[in-house]
Amino acid sequence: MGQTLVQKILARASGRGHVDEGEIVWARPDLITVPEVSFPAYVKRLRDIGITRFVGAERIAVVIDHEVPVHSQAGAERNRLTRKLAGEMYVGHLFDGEGITHPLVVERGLVSPGMFVVGADTHTPGIGGAGALAMPFGMEITTPMARGDIWLRVPGTIRVHVSGRLRAGVAARDIVLAAMRQIDDEMASYRVIEYVGDGIAALSVAERMTIAGLSIDTGAEAGIVAADAACVEALRAMGARDPQPLAGDADAAVFAELHIDAATLGPQVSEPPSPTHVRAVGELADVRIDHAYIGSCASGTLAELRAAASLLAGRRVHAGVQLLVIPATRRIYEAAMADGTLAALMRAGAQLAPPTCGPCFGGLAQLDVGEVRISTSTRNDPGRMGSREARIYLASALTVAASAVTGRITDARELLAAAAP
Amino acid sequence: MSGLALAGRCWRLGDDVASDALISARHVFEYDPRLLKKHILAEVRPEFAAEAKPGDILVVGKRFAHGSQHSHPFIALKELGVGLIARTLSRPAFRLAIYMGVPLLEVGEDVYDQLGDGDRLRVDFATGAIADETSGARLQADPLPAFLLEIVAAGGGLGHLKQQHAAAA
Repeated sequence: MGQTLVQKILARASGRGHVDEGEIVWARPDLITVPEVSFPAYVKRLRDIGITRFVGAERIAVVIDHEVPVHSQAGAERNRLTRKLAGEMYVGHLFDGEGITHPLVVERGLVSPGMFVVGADTHTPGIGGAGALAMPFGMEITTPMARGDIWLRVPGTIRVHVSGRLRAGVAARDIVLAAMRQIDDEMASYRVIEYVGDGIAALSVAERMTIAGLSIDTGAEAGIVAADAACVEALRAMGARDPQPLAGDADAAVFAELHIDAATLGPQVSEPPSPTHVRAVGELADVRIDHAYIGSCASGTLAELRAAASLLAGRRVHAGVQLLVIPATRRIYEAAMADGTLAALMRAGAQLAPPTCGPCFGGLAQLDVGEVRISTSTRNDPGRMGSREARIYLASALTVAASAVTGRITDARELLAAAAP
Repeated sequence: MSGLALAGRCWRLGDDVASDALISARHVFEYDPRLLKKHILAEVRPEFAAEAKPGDILVVGKRFAHGSQHSHPFIALKELGVGLIARTLSRPAFRLAIYMGVPLLEVGEDVYDQLGDGDRLRVDFATGAIADETSGARLQADPLPAFLLEIVAAGGGLGHLKQQHAAAA
């Protein structure tokens, strides 16, 4: 019998010919990512037990992305300490205000297909869109920092076949939300969700990253899209070291096979209190919004900024709505500035902020009691963006942009059908 | 291996005891084990925190500690000296239990069904042998793999790192 993509990656990372599902192995990550939020605290905990150097420090990327630019004294201290400790501990990469970790490390050529990537941040699996197995470990990231490897139970696989092309007004996020409708917590536990099929092959690496990253919210270990020729070409252009296609075997044993027809899919929205509470956009047409946000590690890509700008061309953000746009990385920001996308967004009434995770976890642009935001970010738990009495809906950049125009949750196809006023 | 054989009372709970039901999220900024052990199961089994003794075993059903990925319940169990027998743990809960050094067995329904609340248990987490001295049942579960037992025996992930570091120095 063949091997899943996950088995192939973990066999190599653990120095073995073959690993079985359910087996516990020690695997050596090719890349370890740690945000400034916790990096100084982790270094302190390790120093407290006498560990003053990292094994494989060159594979560690420390990213200052959660509080950029700094807007608190505590943040100022944390960022200063992060810069100092990154130097003292000889980490391979320090990115300071360059963008959000997961899209950033791919953009900077640090990820190749088949890599095993671990991160402290929950949405590390976004990197799976580049064909790597990328998993979150929270505070336990101290283990691979200190000893170079980490134990894990080889996860099983749920294979999602996506066929057909997305129609106008529908986006990659709608595919992963459609998958969430079919995958419950028990099914997802200890498994990776692998996306295959011509509906995935048609997507850019950035779109695949949206799908892989949001897959974690089903309760799965990670999401992953096997690297094909298009992915390899894109990664090579970003400077990845010798990227090669890598896929699971078609005859490998998987726990379940699901099917999504992208061609008949409509826009989807996660309603509070969980990303997995998915509704068709039309069911929420009565929901009035105060805020709209396009950004986060799962969005804020150049293609999404352009799509939003194109939808907003000749239109204005609703008078009662604040639209905030945050490009995911500095390079995306620069490209969107150079091609006029940011100017178009501002003309329509959007506010802009430099690349940061900020709003996603309530660190920036907080919500007040009773306020409603539609957002392209990752989570909508009560209190996630400020008040526990605020409501957060999650959707694609197109749905968010359309909603920003009308002031209620809106199917972008309604606006696309009408000529811009 | 020290600390992996426990003898004490069985505290039996059902399925779906959420992380927030183990320790309310309002205690998320508390990290002192001596405080956390007073909060555990406060709303579900109020007598547990006061009466549980080192060596006791918490026996739980499916999806134990699902939801929040908080280390707090496991810090509290470790401080109490209580072991854990579960039908299933979600991935974050499984890792947190080991990272915090809580002795752990995942068991089948056949084993879980035979362990009664209040029974006197003798459990060897290193071998998976479970003796219910109240009912007389002798049960067997798959123990954790050897290197996870090593981590638990070292008091958890950081303790294990410290031990290895000391050995290498």
